[in-house]
Amino acid sequence: MDSLDTAVTIGRLLRSSTTGFVFGCSVPEPEVPRFGDFVKAPAQRGRTNVIGLIYDIVIEDDPFVRQMVATRDLDEAYILDQRENRQVPIDVTVLSIGYYAGGEDPPARIICGLPPQPPVTLDSIRSCTPAEILDCTSSFDYLRLVMNSAEAPVDELIVVSLRKAAAVRSPEDQLPFLRSAGRELAKLMSRDLPRLENLLRRIRPA
Amino acid sequence: MALELNKLTKDVNALGQNLAERLAALAEQLPAAQTALVGIGVADEALLRKVAAARQHRWAGAIPTAEAVGESFPLPPAPARYNVIAADGSQVYPDRHGVALYYLINIGSIVFRSGLAQAPSTSSEPEVHYEEEDLYEDEGGQKPKVKIDAERDRAELAELARLAEMEALAGPDHSVTLLDNGLLLYLSLQVDDQALIRELLNRYIDQLDRLAASGAAVAGVVDRPRAASVVRLLHLDSLAPEQITDEALRRLGDWERLTDGALFDFLQPGERSALFVHASPANEIYYAPRGHSLYFFYVIAGRNGKSSLLRVEVPEWVARDPERLNLVHLALVEQSRVSDGFPYVLMRAHELAVVTLSERRSFDEMVMGALVRQKLRPGISQKAQGKAWTGAGRRRYP
Repeated sequence: MDSLDTAVTIGRLLRSSTTGFVFGCSVPEPEVPRFGDFVKAPAQRGRTNVIGLIYDIVIEDDPFVRQMVATRDLDEAYILDQRENRQVPIDVTVLSIGYYAGGEDPPARIICGLPPQPPVTLDSIRSCTPAEILDCTSSFDYLRLVMNSAEAPVDELIVVSLRKAAAVRSPEDQLPFLRSAGRELAKLMSRDLPRLENLLRRIRPA
Repeated sequence: MALELNKLTKDVNALGQNLAERLAALAEQLPAAQTALVGIGVADEALLRKVAAARQHRWAGAIPTAEAVGESFPLPPAPARYNVIAADGSQVYPDRHGVALYYLINIGSIVFRSGLAQAPSTSSEPEVHYEEEDLYEDEGGQKPKVKIDAERDRAELAELARLAEMEALAGPDHSVTLLDNGLLLYLSLQVDDQALIRELLNRYIDQLDRLAASGAAVAGVVDRPRAASVVRLLHLDSLAPEQITDEALRRLGDWERLTDGALFDFLQPGERSALFVHASPANEIYYAPRGHSLYFFYVIAGRNGKSSLLRVEVPEWVARDPERLNLVHLALVEQSRVSDGFPYVLMRAHELAVVTLSERRSFDEMVMGALVRQKLRPGISQKAQGKAWTGAGRRRYP
């Protein structure tokens, strides 16, 4: 859990429940936040970290912006003012898939499932490190939580999260990991073969 | 809902009809008024003598300058680089029914660097006043709102001066500073105390000194102006010298109910009207002796189909300097192009200054917390509590 304190804050929590949370951030950087990213938020006064998957990024408008949209030849300074200075938050919605339990002794371990408490308002949201993504995806228990989500675009989220999880593994481990994931999906979706076929096709390495 | 809208339908219909009739009547007056305006051309000696006579009667009209009064002036070319600075203020008045007695002034500002692809600098600076001497007059009684308003007005102008001085130090590019209000403060309409008016206006005009010294231009902008200063000039022109009396000057003669806004609707987007001098006694008594005699003009800001007429007040050192005047004209039109008729920077300065109801509530909660930490028992008055209970809307059976 050392890396939790060193990772860069990508936003702060707006609202939460045990099943997920929404955080706000300013103009997104090219690399964060992205759909399917693994992120973490402190909970239980820092004793645990909730791990989640980003499944929605919403950029709200307001009447001021709507009026400016119609302006031709908009000077760059106006655009930058709206993006960088005006506090129009970007809402990022996250599905909770697990949490770290325990501390230094015994070392924290990942539990796939809903956290005992959600993170609270204004908590820092950070990207998970490759080691944490490896931890979260060492088993495929999280896939069931994703599949049970009523709000998330389930299939897309499964595909993107598995690809990201494969990417943090060594090249020789990537294919075995995706094969295992495919087998797990086959178990979970044995009654929906067209959907399973689509998912398997999409996680297959090029 | 306390307002029973169903009881107002007849009145609302009548209101609409009344407005339509008045607009139709104005439309009939307008061509003759515009012809009369253009007919004056550059004010001649006879008209200037009438103006001088009218000023003896505290006439609130427009004093012509060397420009033809009915002329329109096209948008000047844009320099490659210039800055547009705006400031606006908002205030929370002392509330004796609130958790504690204080007042708050919040100044929002923005520096827009036209010609540079960078985000403007923005700022929001709140100040809370709670000391006895802030809240009460020497002779007793709570500080009147007019003094708080004057403090806010001075703070807006001081912020413009501060930013203009900083931009002048940063580089050679010219700056235009804008206020969402006229530069002429009408304090005499609110207080009788001449010494107080002088003190408040002098503190305000001190900031105009700073702005003039900074090299920036300054302009006060009034949207949807209701003034009839130039219409008064038309009426004055129609009077014979012996007809110039208090009574005659109070009225507008043939142009009753006409406003300058309607009169100048012949201006095309981007064009400005001629310059006029503000004939207000306050201008003559307080502003002019310190080198800030106020001029004004009208401009159509925005773009085709989405424009509006603005009244723009500038001090004489802007009016008489073609470079600064052109920059004000250009900045207003360019800034209003993206926001359909009102300068973008003024909209943003307002947004940065305004204290919303929820922010006020949050601040009151902070104050309440501070009082509790001092082992006090803060609370709002029962009257305020009652308003909070009932103000959210009446519950009733359908």
